[in-house]
Amino acid sequence: MSKNIDLEQEGIQVKKSCCYFCHQNCGVLAYVKDGKVLDIEGDLDFPTNQGGLCSRGNIAMKHLDHPARVNYPLKRVGKRGAGEWQQISWEQALNEIAEKLSKIRDEFGAEAVATAGGTQRTDDWARRRFMNLFGSPNGFHNAHLCWIPTFMVETAIYGWCPFDLDLDNSRCLVLWGQNPGASGMPEIHHIMDLKAKGLKVIVIDPRYTETAAKADMWLPLRPGSDLALALAWLHVIIYEGLFDPEFVDEWCVGFGELADHVEQYSPEWAEPLTWLSADQIRESARMYAMNKPGNIQWGTSIDQIGKSAGAAMQARALIRAITGNLDAPGSDLLTGPSPDFVTDEEMEANDQLPDEQKAKQIGSDKFKMVTWPGYSRIAELTKEVWGKAPTAEWMCEAHPPSVFRAILTEKPYPVKALLVSATNPINSYGESKLTLEALKAVEFLVTCEYWLTPTAMLSDYVLPVAGALERPTITSSYGCADFLLASQRAIQPMYERRNDYNFWRDLGIRLGQGEMWPWETVEDAYYSKIAPLGYGVESYDEFVENYRYHFPEREYQKYKRIGFATPSKKVELYSSVLEELGYPPLPTYIGPSENEVDDPDLAKEYPLVLTTGGGFMPFHHSEHFQIKELRFIRHEPYMDINPATAAELSIKDGDWVWIETKRGRIKQKANLTQGIDPRVVYTQRGWWYPERDMREPELGGYLESNANVLTSVADDDCDPLSGAWANRGLLCKVYKVTDANEKEAK
Amino acid sequence: MARYAMILDTRRCIGCHSCTVACKVHNDLPLEMIYNPVTTIGPTGVFPNVHMMNLPLLCMHCGNPPCVDACPTGASQQSPEGIVFIEEKKCISCKACIMACPYGARVPNHEKGTVQKCDFCKERVHVGKLPYCVQTCHQKARIFGDMEDETSEVYKLVNSSHPVRLLGELGTEPYAFYICESEVKL
Repeated sequence: MSKNIDLEQEGIQVKKSCCYFCHQNCGVLAYVKDGKVLDIEGDLDFPTNQGGLCSRGNIAMKHLDHPARVNYPLKRVGKRGAGEWQQISWEQALNEIAEKLSKIRDEFGAEAVATAGGTQRTDDWARRRFMNLFGSPNGFHNAHLCWIPTFMVETAIYGWCPFDLDLDNSRCLVLWGQNPGASGMPEIHHIMDLKAKGLKVIVIDPRYTETAAKADMWLPLRPGSDLALALAWLHVIIYEGLFDPEFVDEWCVGFGELADHVEQYSPEWAEPLTWLSADQIRESARMYAMNKPGNIQWGTSIDQIGKSAGAAMQARALIRAITGNLDAPGSDLLTGPSPDFVTDEEMEANDQLPDEQKAKQIGSDKFKMVTWPGYSRIAELTKEVWGKAPTAEWMCEAHPPSVFRAILTEKPYPVKALLVSATNPINSYGESKLTLEALKAVEFLVTCEYWLTPTAMLSDYVLPVAGALERPTITSSYGCADFLLASQRAIQPMYERRNDYNFWRDLGIRLGQGEMWPWETVEDAYYSKIAPLGYGVESYDEFVENYRYHFPEREYQKYKRIGFATPSKKVELYSSVLEELGYPPLPTYIGPSENEVDDPDLAKEYPLVLTTGGGFMPFHHSEHFQIKELRFIRHEPYMDINPATAAELSIKDGDWVWIETKRGRIKQKANLTQGIDPRVVYTQRGWWYPERDMREPELGGYLESNANVLTSVADDDCDPLSGAWANRGLLCKVYKVTDANEKEAK
Repeated sequence: MARYAMILDTRRCIGCHSCTVACKVHNDLPLEMIYNPVTTIGPTGVFPNVHMMNLPLLCMHCGNPPCVDACPTGASQQSPEGIVFIEEKKCISCKACIMACPYGARVPNHEKGTVQKCDFCKERVHVGKLPYCVQTCHQKARIFGDMEDETSEVYKLVNSSHPVRLLGELGTEPYAFYICESEVKL
């Protein structure tokens, strides 16, 4: 309708809102009259997107009032999954949920209440605050698959994790398992601008992606072999003398040990493991090391390779360090936390969680890096140098698969309640069948959602949450950057939707946390965060209207003034923090979670290497499948397979095929492409079919095409440092769907 | 008088479909109607030596538009600034224009009983804004402007980067210009 709306008419207000469909939070202008949004467009003045919006951003109006949205609190009245709901008031819902949580706490302890979150779509500090005050250490996210292990491993080595680009001054960019062409639009725009001016771009990715198509060099490595590649790069850089001797001498410890250690990891050694030639490995390492300053961008892929993830992150961090590409102009910048505004961590009330409760965090005995043992050490070190710690919500979490197992086995102790917010675990967490069993078994399940997802369908209560245009947003890279971008809500939430902030606060108040929640609205809370910036504003909205963002003046090489936030105040190539926690202080080779070298028998039955988890336009995680203005672009799930492999398997373009790992099989359609190695297949993630019957047993076809049926969360397949589980580099087989094999139980 | 033109820089286009979706949503088009599809060509070659390009399509706003000539009712018109558009109340949906357009840029709206097409978002352009597809393109793969203005980006790019006109040999004189990698021929 927007074409027919006169945006110049009287009474229209322009609100500085943002898109909420990925983390970029692109600036949006919302045209609002009488409390209704008439139209939106990308904000030309917003520094990152400059008027641009991706396909998801453009469906904001369709998302705002979609007929399938959950608009009122719902209470289950029939059997789980039967889809029989009673519409109730928020008062009733909150009272009953609080009463149930209180009962569980009395009987089983606060740790019997867990929370699951998704991608940043929520006020996560508020959830952490609630959980800390309630007394449970068992909050978690999909964070293990997305940056958090990287952040913690890198912080252990050099005291913070780069998350800011200085590309304007850079000569080389390594996109390691990252495809901004399908995920980070403002980022790929910037890269293309600079590439035109001579920036070298290396893409490391098994798939010929949108981004790889624009790169100077594409390295199609075996999925999950990132560690071998990183070790070989270290070998090349050290033994060809391409490191930065001054930086290494003055600012690093353990270079001798590292050099001795990586002698064994030559490009020839890596060749059969990575499926790249030794020449390709040498050439790429040289391109990065000799085009200084350079960046290595984080991508989710390494977080998702399972067993060797932590060591691969460690090795990648050392590449950056020995080339001196840390916090120097044009390199990866260590911003540190903001000294100017109140960070998320400072809003979390982590000191309110007693030590004996911290000790109960599920998974903290096995995976120490992103749980209390690692986090508290890192927090201590970072506070000493930066004055502040990283955000605990994200960096210090219960291990999700272990929580799901605890629900099923009551080991190490019973978990009776799960509060789900901004996620659909059946589709987004690993090994869907395990997750599903846990969701069915947990005594009390509450979901805060936009839609009746398969997970919401199994819940006891479903609560309607406010979306992008209905809530304010602060973006500061999970509270780990020193800048912030702020947006306001275009309108108050429609129907009876509420901010997740209000959910946690209102629940907290009912559970005796009243004094700790002074901010009645989320704007009040945000105002308390930005007030110290000294802009002289009297409200959060006034800040957004007049300033909108805060970028402090960039100070390079801060380590010269304050040192690195490690025990030695230097970059610890030989990491004392990792050693202290019981991990190898130097990155040591281990194979991918499943691989043909270590397990040839498995490879006989499952001869292809699977990669999954990569984002693809126009969807985000398991979202937006019900929005027909997006779905028409990718109506059905597709998997990529090389035509040579497809021919051997008698698979034609567009055939439905089974993709099977030892954990199960799913159906997707074959997309024959030369953009993938004949030994590799890629499956799209996230798929479910909201247009189908959402009741049990159909539940929107929740297991049929869902790539997480294939992934692994077995402890042995997880990264020992962080517990990150395996989405990529697994072994699988592919065969055509037939009437006969469709009936087989699998 | 302005002469509007659009440049499609395929070196920058990543095939994200944001232009397609933005156009559909903002023009409130039925599901089956698309003004500006993006076609991906490739990957061509054999792994790992492959190439891929994305080709955004739209009405070419021809200098010599065959659709306007073919229209029996005068519904299809060209504005003085070169924008080819349809005056919907005059359209009888005879589809002669659809047959005449070599670019497949016109689509029937079965609900309304008219033919519709991209009109460079002329209402927006008239108030000094960019067409939606241009504003929404993160990649700045779409560049819009006035070919009569020698300081405009479109003027400079058309005169410096040797863009391609699709089916140029037909003499339709498209005002959509494509910049491609040198080795690619359309």
